[in-house]
Amino acid sequence: MTVELETANNHGGGEAVTALELLQREKECGSITTFSSQLDRALKGGLPVGKVTEICGAPGVGKTQLCLQLSVDVQVPLSFGGLEGQVIFMDTEGSFVLQRVGDVAAAVVRHFSLVAEDGEQKDAMQTFDMESILSNIFLVRCHDYVELLAELHLLPDFLRDQPRVRLLVIDSVAFPFRQQLDDLSLRTRLLQGLAQQLVSIATRHNIAVVITNQMTTRLQDSQSHLVPALGEIWGHASTTRILLQWEGSRQVAAIVKSPCCMDTAVQYHITSEGFRDVNQPENSDQPEIPLTERRSL
Amino acid sequence: MTSLVWAGGFPCSKHKRCNGTERDARVMVWDQLPLPSRIRSALQRTHLKSVREVLSLPAVDVQRLTGLAQPEVHQLLTVAAAVCRRHAPLTVLQLQRGECRRCESGLRLSVSCPVLDGLLRGGLPVGGITELSGPSGAGKTQLALQISLSVQYPVEHGGLGAGALYICTEDSFPIRRLQQMISEQAILRSEVPPSVISGLHFSDHVYIEHAADLDSLQVCLSRRAPVLLAAGLVRLIVVDSVAALFRSEFQTEDWLERNKQLLTFSTMLHQLSQEFTTPVLCINQVMDVLKDDDSLGPLSSSVTPALGLAWANQVMMRLMMLRHQTTVSRGDQSSTLRRLEVVFAPHLARSKRDVGVWREGVRGVPVLE
Repeated sequence: MTVELETANNHGGGEAVTALELLQREKECGSITTFSSQLDRALKGGLPVGKVTEICGAPGVGKTQLCLQLSVDVQVPLSFGGLEGQVIFMDTEGSFVLQRVGDVAAAVVRHFSLVAEDGEQKDAMQTFDMESILSNIFLVRCHDYVELLAELHLLPDFLRDQPRVRLLVIDSVAFPFRQQLDDLSLRTRLLQGLAQQLVSIATRHNIAVVITNQMTTRLQDSQSHLVPALGEIWGHASTTRILLQWEGSRQVAAIVKSPCCMDTAVQYHITSEGFRDVNQPENSDQPEIPLTERRSL
Repeated sequence: MTSLVWAGGFPCSKHKRCNGTERDARVMVWDQLPLPSRIRSALQRTHLKSVREVLSLPAVDVQRLTGLAQPEVHQLLTVAAAVCRRHAPLTVLQLQRGECRRCESGLRLSVSCPVLDGLLRGGLPVGGITELSGPSGAGKTQLALQISLSVQYPVEHGGLGAGALYICTEDSFPIRRLQQMISEQAILRSEVPPSVISGLHFSDHVYIEHAADLDSLQVCLSRRAPVLLAAGLVRLIVVDSVAALFRSEFQTEDWLERNKQLLTFSTMLHQLSQEFTTPVLCINQVMDVLKDDDSLGPLSSSVTPALGLAWANQVMMRLMMLRHQTTVSRGDQSSTLRRLEVVFAPHLARSKRDVGVWREGVRGVPVLE
């Protein structure tokens, strides 16, 4: 709480708030479902609005898939417990593919059409369809880190004009910042500024900020470990860090940093419909795996 | 930063822009920006030459260099950002309706086989790097040659209406095999009217380059490729193979330097791919999987693509071709069976198809229900 107070004061734009008021605000903020009930439970509801969450993982493990899922899930109507919000998707790698968004959106619409019960929900389904979902996703394509920084400069004005935005996705932050920046100290300073901007956007505009990061190899004691890219200092940028990784043939989402959730890990998989739980008929009473055996990052 | 010779300097009929006005954000005369004169004169006193330079510094540095107050720096950065931006954010619905010609349009490059196009949901994406790895003899070069021909078909037949730049780094280019495939195109593409096929002069539009080392590869990508792309002569780049150059030139201890060179190389490919909406196909070798290394996911074989995580992070679509023991026959031909597998892609499930390599080219074996 204290960190948020300091940030608000440094930007010279916020008035002082008490800790109690902040706690109340946080409760009202809400979260975005990941469509994996186990991951939602591990995150105490879903991805938190008003905070910065980082998703790291090796290529192909599902980072973009989770981002696409969240971009649709943020739009779920209020009558179903969703946020009915819009999303800005900043794509730096070119991995935002229309065909795939269509798959995920169609599956979500199908799901809610089947579970709609009362009149209010059925009314909501009249306007919650493929076209409306696609019209609520703003896509920004950034070809290098300068374009990404430029878009973030212009974001506050855009958000003032579009108050329904509840999610900002940057997929990925690592790609442009590892490409053309040889000067590592400049990169660190730019990333620090970026991190502050993201926290400010998340809190001032009440938005969930989701960023993805690559993995890199670090040599330690003559053994190589996979760690999130962009260095140690960048590790402080996000409130929550979710690590997606392979364990044999299983895909596991591990919450490795979080102020409110214990270090837990849940299994997931990517289907034709999107990011989903793995059905566990026998072991359904123990879906979460404590992280005690895992090496710390 | 690698400066590319072609930066903004080539006129091109195929080079479409959304809004008509084209600004080169790399060089900017400050008078052209809507800024108060106080800010403009402060800028002229610094060494900053362009909006990109202004934006690539932390705001604190800009403040220190110009001596301007924070609100003025904010105004400067906002104006600079507006210049740098290519267009305002579009909704995905607008994209789907084709309202932005330069953006992701779902365009795909067919690989000249309906079974494999089905596996890839259309073919190669026109942005980003597609990697095709596999052991030697698996048929990677065969498929690459085939795609160098399929790109030449008009868009309505799955091509992009332009030629291919084929960069060889290992053996000499298999010209005889290409000629054989060209002569059998009518058989491979029996659904295309023969008049269309005979009107395409395939061998004229495969531009072959040999790059025996990293320096010549760099020269090819920074000078030759942009000329061909800007002139609309080429809309496919093939590198056969990436592994050859990066594995031979570096000792194992130099892996940091190797990764740096890999990054420079892949950055150039990405820039070319984005600037000219051109698919890039990189052929890669494989190496044995290290025990207990499942970082890149489960594999259906004992081999994994070479060049490690640093390269894998640059690849958008990863395909693997593997050879099998069995043979398959069609008419008077028989072929060792191969399998083409999608290892990862943002829009595809991990799936595979059986494949045969024939006189006329690479063909997937239809999946029987």
